[in-house]
Amino acid sequence: MKDNTYIPKLAKIIQIKEEVGGARPIKTFRAQFIQDNDFSFKCGQCAMLSVFGRGESMISISSTPLIKDYLQFSILKMGRVTSSLHEMQEGDVIGIRGPYGNGFPMEKWKGKNLIFIGGGIGLAPIWSVLHTALGKKEEYGDSMLIYGARTSKDIVFKQELEELRKKIKVHLSVDVEEPGWEEFVGFVPLNVLEIKPSSKNAIAVTCGPPIMIKFVIQNLKALGFEDEQIYTTVENKMKCGIGKCGRCNIGLHYVCKDGPVYSWAELKNLPQEY
Amino acid sequence: MVNLEDLKKEARAVLEEGKVKYIIGYEKSANGMMPIPGFIKSPEEVEKLVWTPACIFNLAKFLVDEKRRKSREKKPDARPVGLVVKGCDSRALNVMLQEKFINRDDVFIIGVSCEETGVIDEKKLAKKLKGKKAEKIEFDEKDNFTVTTPEGKVKVAASEVLAERCLECKANSPVIYDVLLGEKGKRSVDNPYKSLEKIESLPQEERWKFWKEQLSKCIRCYACRSVCPMCYCDECVADTINFAVTADTTAEEKAQKIKWLEKSPLKSENFVYHLVRAIHLAGRCIDCGECERVCPLDIPIRFLNKKLEKDAKELFNYEAGFDPEQPSLVSSFKDEDPEDFIR
Amino acid sequence: MEKVLDKKSFPQWVKQLSSYTVYAPVQEDEVWNYEVITNPENIDLDFPNTVLSPKKIIFPQREVYLEFSTSNEDGLEVKEVLPEEGPSVIFGVRPCDARALTLTDKVFGGDFEDVYYWKRRNQAALVGLACLIPPSPNCFCLSVDGSPFSKEGLDVLMSDLGSKYFIEAFSKKGEELISIAKTLFKPATEKDKKELERNRAEAKKRISRQIQNIKKIPPMLKGMFDSPLWDEESMSCLRCGICTYLCPTCHCFDINDEILSSSPLQGKRVRTWDTCQFPDFTMHSSGHNPRQDKASRLRQRIMHKFQYFVERYKNYQCTGCGRCISRCPVGIDIIEVLDKVSRYEG
Repeated sequence: MKDNTYIPKLAKIIQIKEEVGGARPIKTFRAQFIQDNDFSFKCGQCAMLSVFGRGESMISISSTPLIKDYLQFSILKMGRVTSSLHEMQEGDVIGIRGPYGNGFPMEKWKGKNLIFIGGGIGLAPIWSVLHTALGKKEEYGDSMLIYGARTSKDIVFKQELEELRKKIKVHLSVDVEEPGWEEFVGFVPLNVLEIKPSSKNAIAVTCGPPIMIKFVIQNLKALGFEDEQIYTTVENKMKCGIGKCGRCNIGLHYVCKDGPVYSWAELKNLPQEY
Repeated sequence: MVNLEDLKKEARAVLEEGKVKYIIGYEKSANGMMPIPGFIKSPEEVEKLVWTPACIFNLAKFLVDEKRRKSREKKPDARPVGLVVKGCDSRALNVMLQEKFINRDDVFIIGVSCEETGVIDEKKLAKKLKGKKAEKIEFDEKDNFTVTTPEGKVKVAASEVLAERCLECKANSPVIYDVLLGEKGKRSVDNPYKSLEKIESLPQEERWKFWKEQLSKCIRCYACRSVCPMCYCDECVADTINFAVTADTTAEEKAQKIKWLEKSPLKSENFVYHLVRAIHLAGRCIDCGECERVCPLDIPIRFLNKKLEKDAKELFNYEAGFDPEQPSLVSSFKDEDPEDFIR
Repeated sequence: MEKVLDKKSFPQWVKQLSSYTVYAPVQEDEVWNYEVITNPENIDLDFPNTVLSPKKIIFPQREVYLEFSTSNEDGLEVKEVLPEEGPSVIFGVRPCDARALTLTDKVFGGDFEDVYYWKRRNQAALVGLACLIPPSPNCFCLSVDGSPFSKEGLDVLMSDLGSKYFIEAFSKKGEELISIAKTLFKPATEKDKKELERNRAEAKKRISRQIQNIKKIPPMLKGMFDSPLWDEESMSCLRCGICTYLCPTCHCFDINDEILSSSPLQGKRVRTWDTCQFPDFTMHSSGHNPRQDKASRLRQRIMHKFQYFVERYKNYQCTGCGRCISRCPVGIDIIEVLDKVSRYEG
């Protein structure tokens, strides 16, 4: 059983927090392995969560690797497996296998300023790398977070964002006007243009809906960012998670194995089929 | 005999007048005797059309794709699509019209009669030629085909190589058309259900054993479903995920979709797939035989549909595909319908 | 090791392999497929190619990964289910099918070795049958770096010399198979070897189909992602799964949970073949489908086989068996499509 990566390890859900309610709910789960093991991961990597009897879902790990006692996942209720996850209670058991994927190449970012740009649930994969950078503050330059959602009700990690403001610059936005909202109103790519982050010695990391990523990259380039300075994560339907079943295949890559983290320099050369 | 030049003339005329978007017909393939489905878009391309005993495909299937394509276009071309059909294929069009899947003016029907013969069964022909490769096959006088092999031409009696369904055919000439090539008329067939006799004579346990053996071969490639013109549902019972999904479909709806069968090719799942498909085709199947032709494992699927066709005729005097106005078999009833099997 | 075996002694050899599970092509109605042989007298190597390649023995269409159940005291229990132990031998493997297994080896190996595939692969010995006459009018193994007597992927190769077989063993597994019945084999003579060379030269000439300019194709394909060629070629595609399920090199699969009972929960997690040609293959939960239309799926099949796989593993992902051409319901011919690719201007 040791070398068979297809067999998930059992983990107990120790905490469930409702981030966003309504028609597109998001919950944050913290899970702890039932048996000790040497699961270790890099920021940006994902794990396959199993709901036995329903199926599996590839979710990015949003906790930082610096935290050893649990793994955190933020999950949007979308279909079969995620609906089952949303019906679970604290104490329920799921399966976790992984970690899969290439992770963010943080070694290349030492000393650089980090600009995190997220939209909606896209803040989850960023959360891990953001907190790792904060946890090792001496190794990196200044960090900044630009994050937006459709409405203020769709913003995830609300409490944590308030805490975060005390440590780094946090620029929030909502798509349309809403009473009581005093920060930027408009799509995230426009907020990026408004804030004009400097491209000098900087790395930009962006995650969110595909259309947001498209325009964020466009605007970052307009601000002087080079293709190698922009990183994003790609989402594709996945089943095996290890580059064998062919489902997430784009060009010569398997997103589950060679991705999901790509720099724009690499991604623009792949067929745009995701 | 149907003259290929007449067919080309009709096709050319219709394209030149701009009456149709394109014509779906049988096109000469670069590799061997079998034609391929051709999409003729201009009068010059009409030269590619062929009409031989190897024109087996039911081209009515491509209307399903055409409909899908049209629904995705912002400003669709409203002209009909030209379609070359044989007698059996034309019955499929009648069923599509009956079910309001297409409108009459969506299709310009170029009907071609099989006259006294029909189309071949490739395997029967291969057996008859005993290993010689057939490069070309043509209609000959009345009941013969001429096959060109590397060693010369061979005359073959049609009755020895015709597809099973042609031997039981009810409509060797199109029953609906805008243009008809060839002689009209129904060829007399003494027993339209002859191919069922052997299997019907077996006792129930033997029949169960037969189907268990056959259906355990199935690899669920779904070629039978893909080639059937009557299988046009956007979302099929056999699909395990939702196809008709929009941005507004809730997660609950997607999560609650019932999985009627597993993807595994187990005997149980294969039975469910094939039997459900046969029942969904009751009163709709027009016996074009394509399902059996395409099966890579040679499963005699046609028997299932043929049996239901026989039941429909014997119990309810119902025949599919002759009348586009008749109600569907399973969603209508008459007071005289037999009731003895209702308990 | 080079030996000869009288054709009459062949069933004897198979009889001596009683400690192995023996697979060979078996004919049922008109269809040949690999089945377990229970009676060695019935083994017949006079067959055109099988419908399904021996891939189905190493990478079966249904493979159980694990079983899960909730027993009362311990809660959820997950148990790995491995393929059965025991050596197997597959007779009558055509060189194209054996070569195909060396290609799927690259996919299932590497990082995260696939335990199920390798258990079956390592337990199986492959005994090939060289092709004197092409098994199919659509064979084109020579075009894709293969040959009718290639030994890639095989443990033993049998070549027909009329009344006897020329036997070559390339691995320890192969040599073991021969030494189990060593009294049946005689050393190969110079005459035998000369006849073999003659046959092989003839066999190569008999392959009638070929891909023109295949070396041009991977670089051409790289620039053809947006070409209208895919739309034209896929017009008649019916989105069935025949081309990929019959292909000896295709390896896409699906993983699903099959429930036997929901309370208490009991079931299996199962892997089944899948195909990039089905419209739901790449469909996301949200309904977004990167390959919604047939053109993109045909493009995927061709580019994966002749460009992506080449870039990644330095081999065409096709061994020229011709099954996809022979069985496509609408006659989509991969050689014709590639021909158009190599002549494409635009």
